[in-house]
Amino acid sequence: MELQSQEPVFPANKGYLKRKKFYNKMVVFFAFIAFVIGSFPVFHILYKAVAIGYKYLDWSFISTLPTGFPIGAEGGIFNAVIGDAYLIVIASILAIPIGIGTGLYLSLFGKKKANGVLRLLNELMLGIPSIVWGIVGFYIFSTNAGFGFHFGFSALAGGLTLGFIMTPIIALLTEQAVNQIPASYIEGALALGATKWQATQAVILKAALGGIFIGILLGVMNIIGQTAPLLFTNYYNTGMPTGVTGPGGAVGDLAMLIFIYIHEPSKILHYKAEAASVVLLLFIFAIDLGLRLINYLTKRFIL
Amino acid sequence: MAENSTEKNSDNTIAEVKNLDFYYGSYHMLKNVNLYFKKNSVCTLLGPSGCGKSTFLRVLNRMNDYTEGAKLKGEVFINGKNIYDKSVDVVELRRDIGMVFQNPNPFPKSIFDNVAFGLKIHGIKNRDFIVERVEKCLKYAGLYDEVKDKLNKPALSLSGGQQQRLCIARAIATNPSILLMDEPTAYLDPVSTSVILDLINSFKKYYTIIIVSHNIQQAGRVSDYSGFFLDGELIEFDEAGSFFTRPKDKRTENFITSRY
Repeated sequence: MELQSQEPVFPANKGYLKRKKFYNKMVVFFAFIAFVIGSFPVFHILYKAVAIGYKYLDWSFISTLPTGFPIGAEGGIFNAVIGDAYLIVIASILAIPIGIGTGLYLSLFGKKKANGVLRLLNELMLGIPSIVWGIVGFYIFSTNAGFGFHFGFSALAGGLTLGFIMTPIIALLTEQAVNQIPASYIEGALALGATKWQATQAVILKAALGGIFIGILLGVMNIIGQTAPLLFTNYYNTGMPTGVTGPGGAVGDLAMLIFIYIHEPSKILHYKAEAASVVLLLFIFAIDLGLRLINYLTKRFIL
Repeated sequence: MAENSTEKNSDNTIAEVKNLDFYYGSYHMLKNVNLYFKKNSVCTLLGPSGCGKSTFLRVLNRMNDYTEGAKLKGEVFINGKNIYDKSVDVVELRRDIGMVFQNPNPFPKSIFDNVAFGLKIHGIKNRDFIVERVEKCLKYAGLYDEVKDKLNKPALSLSGGQQQRLCIARAIATNPSILLMDEPTAYLDPVSTSVILDLINSFKKYYTIIIVSHNIQQAGRVSDYSGFFLDGELIEFDEAGSFFTRPKDKRTENFITSRY
């Protein structure tokens, strides 16, 4: 009966009803502006790099070694392309198993309290500036001072240092990927009498593979653009490496090449640096597509 | 201990729980539970949500081992052995005690691999044996006719009821003596529920089945024994006939007649 009285129980705030639509529009507008401002640098880099470097962008630029004076004035950037391949492979060999192992330990095996400390350490590692990694790599791998490796300025020393940068990224993404898997999968496996490793390899790894791939992808994309760690561990080589350690073991690197060319007082090298940055972007794009394809194919045909 | 077991006709008792106390951190989850299970019977454990009945079920196959802060006092005998003894191998124990969960949780693998998983992790490599066993278990679970043409299809493409029967087939593949079921029909439609209840009835011949449920009707349909949990205490445990018709405790009666 009371509900039927003339007085509305829940008076409408007409002014607010109008204003809330306005707030909504404002937020949409700001989000759009933020996107435009945020994405501007990407388009600017692409435009500048292509506009300046287009003259040199062809197959021979990628497939020939630099020659001429100053070195690089003629020829291409093959030394850097092959060097990046060296560095990525060496870094991945170190970082993928250690990163996945750390991630699995954090999400499945470790105790809660210890994991808090480990997770903090992992985040700290993610935040270490790359120049600091360079010093660490220099002491551990390049000189005799650390563990007596003494690899010199070489692909091995540079690649392992980059591997250290890649490891916490893969660990973080692996942990997140495994945490997102429904707990019922692992419980189901354990209830059948599986050990934790059996459950992991049979059920978890397959279900988490997508996330782990993204971790590897982000890791590779991160290290391919690193310059600072290579300053003290690998530096640069204008020719082909003769090994992976010691004198002659240094390799070229795209990011390093851009850094060095931009420092040279030569217009042509500046143009080539711009062209090389386009190649670097294409590289990252190709690695992105490639890993996504591998991920898709494994999901579709193997699992 | 000796007098207790003679009272309950010990040769027929497959599992016995004595003075069980269970804690999550400082929270007293299960309070002094004493209980026994007879061979080849269906036992349902009833109670409102959060009363500790699922926790109790997970005590029986030591799934609480991985829960942080879980602490247990008391003894749980299965086939005459205390499963919380240090010499007990958890992996072996779980092979003997199958478990079906509330959510159908088939692995993201093919239907065949789901059922074969239990065999493979226990080291069986004989392909012919595995194929035969998978087929047999799917038939037991009443699923074979529906899936025989698509054994290599992903298990997640099945309907909810089919997935739950697949999980049952997976659980019985290792030939356990006890089958634990944690509200196996909670998320299923009435038809699938009915199929699973019929399965449970027919499984009595081979297994001892312990079901956790909060559906009184369903429990009444399948059980030989019933227990009622409230706030971590076992209020009443009896044969289903007298449990459902003449409950001794007022609280049990209130629950059965849905006055909670």
